[in-house]
Amino acid sequence: MNIIVCVKQVPGTNEVKMNKETNTIIREGIESIINPFDTYALEEALRIKDAYKGKVTALSMGIPQTAQLLKQTMALGVDEAILLSDRAFAGADSLATSYALSMGVKKINNYDLIICGKQATDGDTAQVGPSLAEKLNIPHITYVNKIEEIGDGFIRCTRLTSEGYEVIESSLPALLTVIEDLNVPRLPSIKNLREAKNREVAILNISDINADSKFTGLSGSPTQVVKTFIPEYNINNEMIEGTPAEQAEKLVDNLLSLGLSVQ
Amino acid sequence: MTLKKYHIKLYLNLNCIYKLQDSFGVNYLIITLKRGQFVMENVLIKKLEKEHQDYLRDESRRTGTGESISFPKTEKEIIEILSSLKSNGILITTQGTRTGITGGAVPEGGHVLSLSRMNKVIGLRYDEKAQTFFVKVQPGVVLSQLRLALKKKEFDDTENWDNESLKAFEKFKNSGEYFFSPDPTETSASIGGMIACNASGACSFKYGPTRNYIEAMRIVLVDGAVISLSRGENKAENGSFTICTSSGKLFKGSVPNYLMPKVKNASGYFTSKDMDLLDLFIGSEGTLGIVSEIELKLLKAPKVHYAVTAFFDQEEKALKFVQSIRENASPVAVEYFNSNVLNLLRREKTENPAFGKLLDLPSHFNSAVYTEYAGNSDEEVEDMLMKAGEIIESCGGNEGDTWVATSPQANEQLHFFRHAVPESVNLLIDKRRKTHSAITKLGTDMAVPDSCLEEVMNLYNKSLEEAGLESVIFGHIGNNHLHVNIIPRDMDDYYKGKELYNSWAEKVISMGGTVSAEHGIGKLKTHLLGKMMGIDGIKEMKALKTLFDPENRLNRGNLFEE
Repeated sequence: MNIIVCVKQVPGTNEVKMNKETNTIIREGIESIINPFDTYALEEALRIKDAYKGKVTALSMGIPQTAQLLKQTMALGVDEAILLSDRAFAGADSLATSYALSMGVKKINNYDLIICGKQATDGDTAQVGPSLAEKLNIPHITYVNKIEEIGDGFIRCTRLTSEGYEVIESSLPALLTVIEDLNVPRLPSIKNLREAKNREVAILNISDINADSKFTGLSGSPTQVVKTFIPEYNINNEMIEGTPAEQAEKLVDNLLSLGLSVQ
Repeated sequence: MTLKKYHIKLYLNLNCIYKLQDSFGVNYLIITLKRGQFVMENVLIKKLEKEHQDYLRDESRRTGTGESISFPKTEKEIIEILSSLKSNGILITTQGTRTGITGGAVPEGGHVLSLSRMNKVIGLRYDEKAQTFFVKVQPGVVLSQLRLALKKKEFDDTENWDNESLKAFEKFKNSGEYFFSPDPTETSASIGGMIACNASGACSFKYGPTRNYIEAMRIVLVDGAVISLSRGENKAENGSFTICTSSGKLFKGSVPNYLMPKVKNASGYFTSKDMDLLDLFIGSEGTLGIVSEIELKLLKAPKVHYAVTAFFDQEEKALKFVQSIRENASPVAVEYFNSNVLNLLRREKTENPAFGKLLDLPSHFNSAVYTEYAGNSDEEVEDMLMKAGEIIESCGGNEGDTWVATSPQANEQLHFFRHAVPESVNLLIDKRRKTHSAITKLGTDMAVPDSCLEEVMNLYNKSLEEAGLESVIFGHIGNNHLHVNIIPRDMDDYYKGKELYNSWAEKVISMGGTVSAEHGIGKLKTHLLGKMMGIDGIKEMKALKTLFDPENRLNRGNLFEE
């Protein structure tokens, strides 16, 4: 069972700070982390490997520093890590990203399953996984919260829908995007850290994966950011003074005057 | 109480409510005016009402009684309150944020002096010689807030800081990260409360307890006099000391002759022949005076922190690792979780959704040791980690059976695991209390010397098994300081557990240990302190108590059995 896990580098913070002049995210001083949804994908791949044997490869497209994060996946037990890094990949939207990844997957070639996090916590599009499957012409199952069974040439999963759950069976190779209910991602062990120390992340450029620069980076991205802005919040606080009984009475009066209906 | 008895200066006239000040500078509020008689109430002192019920308890779940309450904001207000209460000999219980678990902040009648609103950081100083910063705080500052302010380098009240502090603040902003090292699990503890019981935490293994980071204090005595102590400047000489108050009154006393246990300790008054008098007040649980201002020593923060939880298939191997790691490496913290802890967490993970995100615990994990390493580069700390791996293997463990956290996110997972332990125990106790309401957790806080670690573990394990009691054992094993939590199933278990607890105390004392290493004595462990100090030791402590608080009005019930 050979599994490829797609991994993205995202800013490791919940407190996103914006530059008010340029309306862009301030990335200085913010540590990068593996996209949290991708950690569930990694964990599931490692569990499948533990159960069925095989090989797990982590694949990412990003700036050279992303290699550091890929190294962390090796310390979790990933067998091989590949980083697609080239100036020609810069400025990619989800379409150009999935194209580059698909060329990376074709280069790896020998795989049964691809697992992605359902979306990245910075872009939140949830498009790259399904788009990658389409480019590879393989079936995909999104929002997987449980893998029920893996058999000879098939996989059966439960996926979360807005109404409940669906159980879907697919032939292999296939692509899954996964959600956080799936598992609790492991931490590295000293043993794996020690082993990862001497291993290198393979860095591939555009020609290594035979990609066409027409379809990568900015030139391959039909999506354009026209404007970004910071939503404004106007919340007025009013402190109500008095004894608890008085405060309650004033609060009710205020709410009624604002149009709260009493039934 | 009439107007004639006081030389009162009237300075506010508003809708027939008068704010007055008497010749002692005490503020009063006239609340009614009947037949020419003033009924006066001190502005600061309020009747203890229903809304104040929380101030009658702390985290020990013990509930006390009280008649009045105050929330001073300054040292001057503390003095005002004390002088108002002086004439009637009213008992005074000082409180911080009431996170203690020994009942130390629970009042036994009288007045509740809550320092929770004395919560300002009031200055900063850089000391060239010590090459570090010292931060001046009021006692009600909460640990988590202080940590955040130090990390963000943002303080709320700098407009009131003096020039020296502002200058130091500029330097602070341009320096690396500094931190206040004491780390009790409950980060909503107040600095005053931490001083009262000389609090410590996991990282005290490397950095030591709160005591080591108190550089200066101002203390208001029960009669309103103030003493100001700075480390190194007020010391006992050959067993005697003299302390001079701001008004020139002298207090002469002797330091106790009892020997301090050579372990991490939070039991009774500190003593040593040439002791620094600051140390007498640290850990005195509010019985000698009221701390009104503190200067805390900060440390330069290491840049890199790694943490690792190592699992072993036998307790003996885990204990061997503890002994080896503290001899051969320099971890910041060394914590232990026994097999019952792991079983409890396994159960909680499947039954309680709140613990669903705990990491899986394979069945061959029997016990765990958490260690933490700090340094200034990844390489340095990684070397420490690799060495820890070798030590794990040499003790019969497997370095594959470890959880390593090298990032704050991963560390949160380990943190979650550690904090789930006391939480799970409390949930279990709450469940038991539904059928037996008098049940409480029986949690020990004893520490022994390094050489007695195995002996004390055998003692706990053997006697718990013989008594057939349910329990978990976890805590600061680096300092041989374990929290044994007995979880009674019924009242029979509860009494059996109490008996066992007392028998352990006697054995721990005979090993040269202490009955409380970090929680303090409070009102719940006074009988154990009696056992530890002996009649003569308690007598010496009482002599000090009488010197500073002759009528025994401050935090009555703490430390001493009535």
